[in-house]
Amino acid sequence: MATVKINGKEITVEDGTLILDAATSAGFEIPTMCFHARLSKLASCRVCLVEIVGQKKLQPSCVTPVMHGMEVLTESPVVKSARSAMIDLLLANHPLDCPVCDKGGECELQDITFKFGPRKSPFGEEKRRFHEEDYILSPVIIQNANRCIQCKRCVRICAETVGAEVLGSIDRGAGTGETSFVKEYLDCDHCGNCIEVCPVGSLMSRSFRYKSRPWDLKGVDTVCTYCGTGCQLTVQARNGEVLRVISKPDKGINHETLCARGRYGYSFINSHERLVTPMIRKGGTLEPATWDEALKAIKEGITGAIRNGGKIGGIASSRLSNEELYLFQRLMRVVLKTNHIDSGSRWNTGAVKTFTEVMELSRGGVSIYDALNTDTLLVIGSSISDENPVTDYMIRRLSQNKKMNIIIASPRGMKLDSSAALTLRHRPAAEGEIISGISRVLYDKNADKLNDLSGKEPLKSISKENISSLTGTDWGRIESAANFMSSSNSVTIAVGNDVLRGPSRLEFLNVLVGALRLLGKEVKLFPVFDRANQRGAWEMGVHPAMMPGYSATAGNGLGCEGILEASSRGEMDVLYVIGEDIVSDFPDGRFAEEALHRVKFLIVQDMFLTETAKMAGVVLPGASFVEKDGTFTNQEGRVQRLRRFLPPQGDAKADWEIIAAVGAAVDPSFNYGSAAGIFGEIKEAAPMYREIAFESLDGSGALIKETNRKGTDLKSVPSVASQMPAASPDPDYPFVLITGNHLYHSGRLSLRTDILRDILSEAIVEISEEDAKDLKVGKGDKVVVKGERYEATLTVHVNKRSAKGVVFIPENFTDVRVNMFFTKGEGLPRVRVLPLTGKSHGGGIK
Amino acid sequence: MLSEGAVKEINDLTGKYANKRSAVMPALFVVQREYGYVTEEGMREVANILGLRPVQIFEVATFYTMYNKKPVGKYHIQVCTNISCSLLGANHIVDFLSMRLGVKVKETTPDKMFTLSTVECLGSCGTAPMMQINDRYYEDLTKEKIEEILKGLK
Ligand code: SF4
Ligand code: SF4
Ligand code: SF4
Ligand code: FES
Ligand code: FES
Repeated sequence: MATVKINGKEITVEDGTLILDAATSAGFEIPTMCFHARLSKLASCRVCLVEIVGQKKLQPSCVTPVMHGMEVLTESPVVKSARSAMIDLLLANHPLDCPVCDKGGECELQDITFKFGPRKSPFGEEKRRFHEEDYILSPVIIQNANRCIQCKRCVRICAETVGAEVLGSIDRGAGTGETSFVKEYLDCDHCGNCIEVCPVGSLMSRSFRYKSRPWDLKGVDTVCTYCGTGCQLTVQARNGEVLRVISKPDKGINHETLCARGRYGYSFINSHERLVTPMIRKGGTLEPATWDEALKAIKEGITGAIRNGGKIGGIASSRLSNEELYLFQRLMRVVLKTNHIDSGSRWNTGAVKTFTEVMELSRGGVSIYDALNTDTLLVIGSSISDENPVTDYMIRRLSQNKKMNIIIASPRGMKLDSSAALTLRHRPAAEGEIISGISRVLYDKNADKLNDLSGKEPLKSISKENISSLTGTDWGRIESAANFMSSSNSVTIAVGNDVLRGPSRLEFLNVLVGALRLLGKEVKLFPVFDRANQRGAWEMGVHPAMMPGYSATAGNGLGCEGILEASSRGEMDVLYVIGEDIVSDFPDGRFAEEALHRVKFLIVQDMFLTETAKMAGVVLPGASFVEKDGTFTNQEGRVQRLRRFLPPQGDAKADWEIIAAVGAAVDPSFNYGSAAGIFGEIKEAAPMYREIAFESLDGSGALIKETNRKGTDLKSVPSVASQMPAASPDPDYPFVLITGNHLYHSGRLSLRTDILRDILSEAIVEISEEDAKDLKVGKGDKVVVKGERYEATLTVHVNKRSAKGVVFIPENFTDVRVNMFFTKGEGLPRVRVLPLTGKSHGGGIK
Repeated sequence: MLSEGAVKEINDLTGKYANKRSAVMPALFVVQREYGYVTEEGMREVANILGLRPVQIFEVATFYTMYNKKPVGKYHIQVCTNISCSLLGANHIVDFLSMRLGVKVKETTPDKMFTLSTVECLGSCGTAPMMQINDRYYEDLTKEKIEEILKGLK
């Protein structure tokens, strides 16, 4: 600890604290310009100069640490005049065109000039001008480089945090400007973080241009509902129209950062395609109806089914709030007496159960900062850079200041690879085998210490040759991964939801974790989800085998696949679907569609008339995330507040209100009046939520905690390692098709936002560089991807680092129905790729 | 496109440095030699070979005046106008060259023979005023001397 005097006030701080931070905590304000708390230190603007008693020269407080006994002056006459001179230098070339600048009112240069700057300037020279008209740098950025003060925050955030490295400082001296390569249109992540950190009006948001002065906006701090990272964001609107989304340095785990979808994926809220009234099918077509009519039809449908002892099921999206998901399962289990419920249509119900157990989700939340405070980090089962962009930023950023061995196991290459110590490219769906291979190496090296390891028998039956041939990964790399873990004191294993797409052999994760713990390592498990409330959905009990709080159910429920199978046999009497477009998402689109046709009474609740909604008997209009209250639980297990800020469009209602109304229609005692009230009930049902106070959840939310649960952890331990047949290459269909979210999109909702559509509106196909060479195609070329049942013409993207033989098509687009490539029960589809010269686009059934 | 030899030269350069970014400067000289100046295409090629982003090459190329971002004549005359040379009449040297060649500073003669530039200190203050033509220094300049030099450059 160091005790220092700042402006005469004594304060004791940690050794190494920056003078800037010490002064701030002592209550003094030092202006800064180039400084940014989470970026590398540059110290170029010198606006933060302070006087250290006994030193001749003023020192930049943003890089100078305190020393014990130091005496610092932040308001002495020499500091004041130097500071003002520094600001004057920033202004010397600054156009001072505040009246026409979008930044006016929230400009850091304006603010510090007003507070600390000169009132007159000796600089009368002509100002440097790079260009007359602002120029468009990307689909989201418009630049006025004349206003740039060369702080390089944009360059630093793009390189250090986002990892895109597309901005640079061009030229030198007074002529320096920040821009892209030869000022060309950027092909980047379109995250807008450079705009967010630009202190002046140099990098500006195209979509917000000339739309409003910041003081005319009303906003709400809420949470992003796209992926499981759970970023905090602020939605701002004027006269009820959402004009932009910003991020704030002091809010959330993401601070100032967001990804393209979080920042630009909002305009669906005001979309004219929103459902604004209930609809009832009359004579084959869906026609607008009142709530009373719709609820009456639902009541008749449901009570009829109950009377006849019919089957009832429900599927609710993992993008609904905890309150909605909880209420949904309550309605299903208690009122409709069924366990046939699921959250989403893409996951294997059994794999989900195993996942929740081996990932120890019932033990409560793990903060991402704790998870990343580790010697070795294994990321597996997620194309994390695309699926969870801000999680990727955090890993990149935190690994720069700390020695952390990052191991990435995935079939596709990703941006984060460049931060990794080791990459394991493996065959799709071989995550379990990779983990078993690593466990095997660890076991062989430490057999004497691992006598008590449960699951060691099946481990012993694994052979190196078998694993290599199943995974397609060089055994040496699997050994290196094990060695990194061996030589670490702490290991974090981040597992993404790709392992849920089939019956993966994830039980071996239990063995690996067990082995590492027996070897004395601190092990943390970190789940990575592509849907914002996936964790919440399970914790609320929206799963056939799990009740709220992960307790087991009595009785056999069906998951989504089982529900569809029962439907296809004509056994499903009522199916209530909320926010999930099963027809577009279930991996076998044709089967899903045929099955849903046989459901006797299909109720769909959504914001839009999705492919699934088009088939419904009754359609109910749900609300967007800014139109309702509630909570979300992100992948860490952090509960954050969703805040109602706008009234729902038309007659739409918050989804929890609708669920409550449906319940009350069947059973009048099903009575819920507020999201907060439902949350109170959740605290009882899922004790991990007990300590969370709905009303006082603030910017960083609160982690759920393990409670004294009765009984022991349910643990799946692998039986004898089954010898999964090695993928036999089929010369006719040499590629394996995998799917997931594109960096700019998430689910299907994002496609309804104009800015994200401007960035990318049509599906692409991504292939490895090696395959591109063999096929003699390059970025932008058209190819036909042919499966046994479906084919599509798509534009090629080349992924330099992907494994050969893997083809990736995003799930987010409507022009190509990627789920039509799949055949239920047959795992990942095999396809061939045929180069094409021509321009047609879109998918079609063969 | 860079010749095979140039690509190899750049690839070999990477072996000399612990960090690939360190090879950017010598690689840019290879580009300048190959194309006559640092072209956009050349910068992209360097980025590709070194596994860097094009903007990272662009930053370096624009920072240093030794890289020509525009085509230059067969002879690139760079006159030092920094303090020592200026005190000893560098501006007269520039004016004289400009008059003799019929171009202003930063311009190239229509026959593409000469480009006239001014540069900062070339570390030859002891023999100021001075200039550099392509890779050679010409020192203790006078108008007569310049006439001689220009005659030799045809
Ligand atoms: S939008 Fe994001 S990726 Fe693109 S330049 Fe800005 S910070 Fe970099
Ligand atoms: S564009 Fe903005 S963030 Fe980038 S250097 Fe200029 S002022 Fe700083
Ligand atoms: S999509 Fe995920 S990473 Fe992007 S802003 Fe939303 S929560 Fe954050
Ligand atoms: S803020 Fe300290 S030098 Fe810029
Ligand atoms: S000033 Fe001209 S060489 Fe140094």
